[in-house]
Amino acid sequence: MNFEMTAEELAVVDSAEQVAREVIQPLAQHYDETESFCLASIRALGDLGCMGINLPEEYGGLGIGSLAMSRVVEAVAGACASTASAMTAHFLATDSILLGGTEQQKQEWLPRAASGELLGAFALTEPAAGSNPADMRSRAAREEGGWRIRGSKHYITNAKEADFIVLYVKTDADAGHKGISAFMVPRGTAGISFSSPEKTMGLRGSTIYELALDCWLPESALLGVEGQGFNTAMAVLDRGRVEVAAMSLGIANAALQASLSWVRERQIGPKPLAAYQGTQWRLADMYAQLESARMLTMKAAARRDSGERFSLDSATAKLVAAECAGFITDAALQLHGGYGYSRDLPLERYVRDARILRIFEGTSEVQKIIISRALLDATR
Amino acid sequence: MKVLACIKRVVDYNVKVRVKADNSGVDLANVKMSMNPFCEIAVEEAVRLKELSIKEGGVATEIVVVCIGPTTAQEQLRTALALGADRAILVESAEDLTSLAVAKLLKAVVDKEQPQLMILGKQAIDSDNNQTGQMLAALTGYGQGTFASKVEVAGDKVVVTREVDGGAQTVSLSLPAIITTDLRLNEPRYASLPNIMKAKKKPLEVLTPEALGVSTASTNKTLKVEAPAARSAGIKVKSVAELVEKLKTEAKVI
Ligand SMILES: Cc1cc2nc3c(=O)[nH]c(=O)nc-3n(C[C@H](O)[C@H](O)[C@H](O)COP(=O)(O)OP(=O)(O)OC[C@H]3O[C@@H](n4cnc5c(N)ncnc54)[C@H](O)[C@@H]3O)c2cc1C
Repeated sequence: MNFEMTAEELAVVDSAEQVAREVIQPLAQHYDETESFCLASIRALGDLGCMGINLPEEYGGLGIGSLAMSRVVEAVAGACASTASAMTAHFLATDSILLGGTEQQKQEWLPRAASGELLGAFALTEPAAGSNPADMRSRAAREEGGWRIRGSKHYITNAKEADFIVLYVKTDADAGHKGISAFMVPRGTAGISFSSPEKTMGLRGSTIYELALDCWLPESALLGVEGQGFNTAMAVLDRGRVEVAAMSLGIANAALQASLSWVRERQIGPKPLAAYQGTQWRLADMYAQLESARMLTMKAAARRDSGERFSLDSATAKLVAAECAGFITDAALQLHGGYGYSRDLPLERYVRDARILRIFEGTSEVQKIIISRALLDATR
Repeated sequence: MKVLACIKRVVDYNVKVRVKADNSGVDLANVKMSMNPFCEIAVEEAVRLKELSIKEGGVATEIVVVCIGPTTAQEQLRTALALGADRAILVESAEDLTSLAVAKLLKAVVDKEQPQLMILGKQAIDSDNNQTGQMLAALTGYGQGTFASKVEVAGDKVVVTREVDGGAQTVSLSLPAIITTDLRLNEPRYASLPNIMKAKKKPLEVLTPEALGVSTASTNKTLKVEAPAARSAGIKVKSVAELVEKLKTEAKVI
């Protein structure tokens, strides 16, 4: 397995880390506190050419490998997890077009999405269909010259800010998951209403909405082939889970780095907190977990580029990295004591932001279902 | 007009440097290296002169970026190419060169390239010598505008505003001329990710001091490098009167 990056990829990571540190990180607290969409950070990523790092060059993307890509996601998440979430939701949308769209649709949408001109959203989840997307109820029925869409979606990241939404609905209500198809819904389509942003625990600089759908779409809005939507969505999520794992590393590493400087400075009685063995062992546990999650993430990223099936690898990386981010951010807050609980420091934000990692793009339980199914299938 | 931007590879400004145990220098093992910040300003200024010329016709038409350094300095040259330089020259030398040796090598590159404007950082954040630009001016006989905070090219002249003690001085130099950059000249852009990928395809020429016919032998020798003395612990005073007394008699600041 090859974990090497090219010189250009290293330079890409370097530049992204710089922008994350100097532009995005200073805005993170503001977006968290005002619960407003992280617009300036997403614009900065657009200017940097970061919104197409998941795409090949032929569609205006950067054409870098998944290892480098996950390092960029990690850097952004370490600076501002909300921004990373808005960015990776955009990747879910463009990956949907890349994997499921016709050549014409790819040419139409991807270059402008990669350049940062257009922002995307990915709408799969419904109030009654989260872990079980095949049970979705939203429908598309053929109407003269197009489709009538009825139903609802919820918890959709970027939905209102997006220039296009990749919408997954059923075109055949009786065909189970084989009846799901994807549609391109441009901004301004009549008949879509958005809730106000949901109030959430973390990722407060990234907005999620409920959508009520009663709209008409032209024939050409069908993304790729009818009935292929579920396969596309699952393949997109396989890819996306590597990015969630990378986000986990970013938040966890930010928490660990904050802890390393804190324990040296904080005096407890006669000596710094770092001089107590309880602290040292905690730091070692945090690091060991982070590095195991990092290796799994790198493995999933390398596998993703190899062309082999990588569902097992990405589910394992996502499970372990998301759980470890929960442990590490909590341990980091604990090392900071009351200061960690105060909103003056970002430790409590790390805890809140990390909590979503065990839920979206498949909960930890869903990852275990994917993992165990792959194991049992392989040994049947 | 051809512009030569000169850059140095140095320890990244975010890195806390450590002195080697034998005091022979700074430990560079596994340390992040970057383009000297003043050199980033030099590259940015060259790129702006070229962007200006695209809009207004005829200031900078080609930017050549040059670095005297080890093979790994290709990374910093690629960064400069990503920022907008057209081609790069590495004069490869693994030695720790003095400012004069660097200036001599740059002079050889100037002879070869015949640029109208040479832009350098005013100093490198590792050695802090602040003399390479001046030495290059002496070797080439060109005019120099050091510590530039503003640069304007008009016809065969360049007007440079210099940051000097207590104010600004404006000088007009006939081209070809040499400029060294100060902090306020501009705010360098970030290298965009697509431009980083494209920089790979831009030409990068590797030369050697021997090929340029320059001897880099030095008359200087570094004897010792030491870390700054550790700050000693502060003391607590009992009263304002005592504080004022100490500021007067010990610190001698009031
Ligand atoms: C901040 C945020 C952003 C989001 N962004 C998007 C987005 O952009 N696009 C989008 O489509 N969706 C998005 N979602 C939705 C997200 O993907 C879902 O919330 C997630 O998949 C879980 O679904 P659910 O909320 O319906 O939970 P449920 O499916 O109701 O799960 C409840 C609990 O049951 C467990 N469970 C479910 N099935 C099983 C089982 N078979 N065995 C054991 N346990 C099980 C789950 O693990 C969980 O613990 C977002 C959600 C949030 C909170």
